[in-house]
Parts: sequence; structure tokens; C-alpha cells
Amino acid sequence: MKSSIVPLTRTTLKVTGRIFKVLPMLLGVLLSTRVVRAQQAPDPADQDKQTIRMLLERVEQLEARVTQLEAARQGRPAVAPTLVTQQASTPAEPETETQAEQPSEPERMDLSKTLLRMRGFGDITLHGDNHKGDTTSFSLGQLNLFVTSDVSEKFKFLTEIVFEAGPDNAVGVDVERMLLEYSPSDYFNLAVGRYHTAIGYYNTAYHHSTWFQTTTGRPFLFDFEDKGGPLPIHNVGVSASGLIPSGRLGLHYVAEVGNGRTSRSPANEPVQNLVDENNHKAFNLAFFARPESVRGLQAGFSVYRDVLSPANLPRIGETILAAHAVFVRPKFEWLNEALVIRHAPFGLSHVFETPGFYTQLSKQFGSYRPYFRYQYMNESNREPVFPDIGLRHGPSVGLRYDASESVAVKLQYDYTLLRRQEAVNGLALQVGFTF
Amino acid sequence: MLVAAVVWLKPAPGWSFRGAGYAQTTSGQSLAIIVNQSNPVENLSLTELRRIFLGERSHWPNGRRITLVIMPPGEPEREAILREVCRMNEKDYNNHFLHGLFTGEVFASPKTLSTPVGVRKFVFNVPGAIGYVRTADVDDSVKVLRIDGLLPGDKDYKIPMQARLAK
Repeated sequence: MKSSIVPLTRTTLKVTGRIFKVLPMLLGVLLSTRVVRAQQAPDPADQDKQTIRMLLERVEQLEARVTQLEAARQGRPAVAPTLVTQQASTPAEPETETQAEQPSEPERMDLSKTLLRMRGFGDITLHGDNHKGDTTSFSLGQLNLFVTSDVSEKFKFLTEIVFEAGPDNAVGVDVERMLLEYSPSDYFNLAVGRYHTAIGYYNTAYHHSTWFQTTTGRPFLFDFEDKGGPLPIHNVGVSASGLIPSGRLGLHYVAEVGNGRTSRSPANEPVQNLVDENNHKAFNLAFFARPESVRGLQAGFSVYRDVLSPANLPRIGETILAAHAVFVRPKFEWLNEALVIRHAPFGLSHVFETPGFYTQLSKQFGSYRPYFRYQYMNESNREPVFPDIGLRHGPSVGLRYDASESVAVKLQYDYTLLRRQEAVNGLALQVGFTF
Repeated sequence: MLVAAVVWLKPAPGWSFRGAGYAQTTSGQSLAIIVNQSNPVENLSLTELRRIFLGERSHWPNGRRITLVIMPPGEPEREAILREVCRMNEKDYNNHFLHGLFTGEVFASPKTLSTPVGVRKFVFNVPGAIGYVRTADVDDSVKVLRIDGLLPGDKDYKIPMQARLAK
């Protein structure tokens, strides 16, 4: 015990001795610190004022924020669906405001909904035929970026941007569709911009997606303008469409007014995107029925009218009459379309008529879909607008194999008879996909 | 006494305690088509319902946009709707909507919610929404539509959870 006390006492004494040595120094430091603090500290009254000022500023900031949030909330007719979607697993508080009908409020852009949604389509083809001058080639098809955005509850934006190689192998970009759609009801929808003309069925059913099509390509009649097609596939203007109250008959209408096609020179861009070459506008009116009793059936007709102004020729009245009857179900399709293109030069009694039709049949067996198409188009050699199309007709047979839900492989054989030329045998292997 | 209480509370065969009240279990259950309580529509024909679920109708009679809410692939409720209402398989249904959006005939794609509670709350919050849940998942926050004049549980109601056996 002693031995333990003595060292402790010694240690204590040592520490005490050190404290006594350090104590004056510590007191000096403490005093100097207090003096410095006393010199730096403001008057308590000033300190309170400063605090109050800061608090008032903070209150003002919060009030401004509350005002901003209230304004934003009043401008929103309902809880944003996408927000709710994201918070689906969390309980949503009942809010009577969100259920209130607010028809008188102007359309507002909902930032939570105006996200761009993009879908892509593409295809690559190996094609060969015996037509003079043609070579067997791998071809990049159209790379199609389909973009939509819900601008508000009634407005929607839609565009198809297509990257495509031309005959010179250079890749160019085209805005194939660009539409702002206004949809206040099922009976009236209005779209402005560049659209696919509602002539017949095919043009507005498949647009620029090869993947959606059963076959490797479009019928002759519906080839794009820059591929030599005879129809005004694209138009820039206004399109109205909707249901016609007709019960189980399911009648629809489409009415379009646009610039029409370029006719002054074949070298010009075929779609009048910016300037119309004349004041006359192209009109198109289409009606079709989708009867409830036969699901998948659609039958209709359309009338298109324009005035063309080719250089060094009299103006030409253009009328396109088209009719279609299609039966499309997921496992079966039968497409039938016929049309006649009438060109009537002003001051001449002669009218140039170009008739054409196609029929296409296919049936799905598992992942395989064999198909058949026969098409016909007969244009006069003296036709003033498209003298180089002539007569083309013949069958196509093919097989589509859906390798996955997004990839289709198609093999197609075409036999095409031409006027005063050797018949063309063509074979194409294509991979079409969506992404 | 406890045992007696449990025996007394035990539901009859074919019924369970899920949701707000008694409802049939999966084997005998139906799908309820639900809309927001403010929606004036009370009844739809099966054809009208099909058109809505295929995106071919985008507005209610009062002009409000229809917002379709569906459950993700693989959920029994979705399978029942595809089978009984849309009459399509999963691939065809997806292709239909993709094609419809592409042609512009379908104005907006459906919202996908993973749980019945999520569907119910979405329908409660969005005035133009329409969705489906099992009858056991229905509560007073949403309105159940009649289909061809019939409610879930009525004889001959046309949207059962399970496939009907061929006669």
C-alpha cells in the first residue's frame, strides 16, 4: 500500500508544481481572450437588430417561395400523372382541388409531362436484281427517330426525323413529319405542320417505318416522292380529323389543306416546306369506316385536288381519287387499294389518267409470316408530270420472320413487268428493327 | 371464447377480408373497372371499354382526356384485361399501342402502375383516369363502372379474373 501511495504523492506533487508554473500563463491567456472578446463583441442591442433583420429576410424569402408554389399549383389542373406514376408506391393524399373541374382554365404547359419520348426504327437491306445498271448492294435504310411530347392535356407534338442515304451515298436528314396536334375531343383533332397526306390507307398506316410493314418496301403507288413515287406523300399545312357520330359504323373523316407538291421542276425539293410555288392550295378529303361488327375492317375513299404549275407548260389540274378496303388483325392482314391520278392541263381537252392498285395478303404462323402482294400501275408515256414511270406490275412473295419483338428479318422476291423493257427479277433480304 | 371469435370471423369459402369489405378470392373474383368519382359516366358497353383500353377513344363525354392506367406485364389483372377486353396477347397489345402512337391515332400511351393501391390512388387523383383492380381492392375513393349494365359480382359480368372454360 505504501509503495503505491508514495509514487502517487510524488506524481501529484510533480503535476501540482507544473500547474503552478503553467497557471500564470493560463490566466494570462484567459484574460487576454476575454479582453479580445470584449473588444470584438458588438452591443447586445445591435446583435438583436441584426438577428431580427436576418429573420425578416428569411421570412420574406419563404413568403416568396410559398407564393411561387401556390401560383404553380393553381396553374395545374390535376396532379401530374407522371409524378403520380413515380410515386405510385407512396400514399397519395386526398386533394379535393385535384378533382375539381377546371374547364375555363387556359392550357398550360406541364413541365413534368413535356418530356420527349423517342422511338427509333431502322433497316438494312441486301438487294439485287437483273435490271440493267443495277448492282447488288447492301443498303442502309431509313434511320427514323420518332419523337413525341405531351405539351399539355390537349396539345401534343410529334415528329419523324429520318436519316437516309441518297443515290450519291451521302447521308442526309429530312424532317418527314412535324406536327403540333390539338385534340379537344374524339370528334375533332387539328394538326398543323408537315404530315403524310391521307390518300388511301398505306400512307398514314406505316409512315417511314419499315419494321411496321410486313414487306421489305412500300407499294409502287406509295413510294416516296424522292424515290419516284407518283403521289404527294407529304404535305405542309393543316389537317383536321375525327369521328363522325355514326354508331356501330365507326365513320371517320380527314380534311386537309396544304401547299401540295412541287411541280415547277423535277430538280426541286418535292415537298413545299417553306414556299408554295402558287397560291392555289391542295385539298384532300377522306372518309372511312371501321365497323364494330367486323373488328379489323376499314373501308374508305379520298379525293385530293391541286393545281400544278410546271415550267414551260400550262397549269395542270390534279385530282387523285382513292379507295381502300383493308382487314388487319394481329395474325392476318389483307390490304386492297386502288386509285386513279388525273392530270388535266388547262386549255386542253385531254386528261391523263394513271390507274393503279395493289392487293396484299399475309398470315402469321408463330414467328413466321408469309406474304404475297400483287401491284399494278400504268402511266401514259405522254403523262406531263411523271413521264418516266410508265407501266409497272407484277407479284411479290416473301417471308417475314420476327426474330424478337423488335427485330424482323424479311426475304422477298419481286417479279416486275415493265413496258417495252425486260422484266425485272429482284431479291431482297432485310433486317428491320425498332429500338 | 377466442376460438369461438376466430371461428365466427372466419370468412366463408370463396371470400376474403381484403379491401374495404367482403370480396371473392381469386378463383371467383372479377375485375372492377374504376374511374374517378367525379366522372359522370356510370356504364360502358364492352365494346366502348375495348376501344378505351386500345386507345381508340381519348376523351370522356365531358371532354376530359382519358388517362388509361394499366398494370405491368405478368400481373393477373393485366392478363385478364388483355384476354377479356382487348382480346390480344401481350405482344400484340404492345405493338398496337406502338403503332397507334406512331400513326397518331393513339394520343397518349397508358400509364403503368405496379400495384392495385397505386392504380386506385392514381384514379382517385386524376379526374380522367380509368383503370382496373380486383373487386377486393376497390374502396370508396373510386367509382366502379357498370359494364353492359352489370357490376362485378353480378351474374354474367364479363370480366372475370380467370379465363372462362369453353363450354
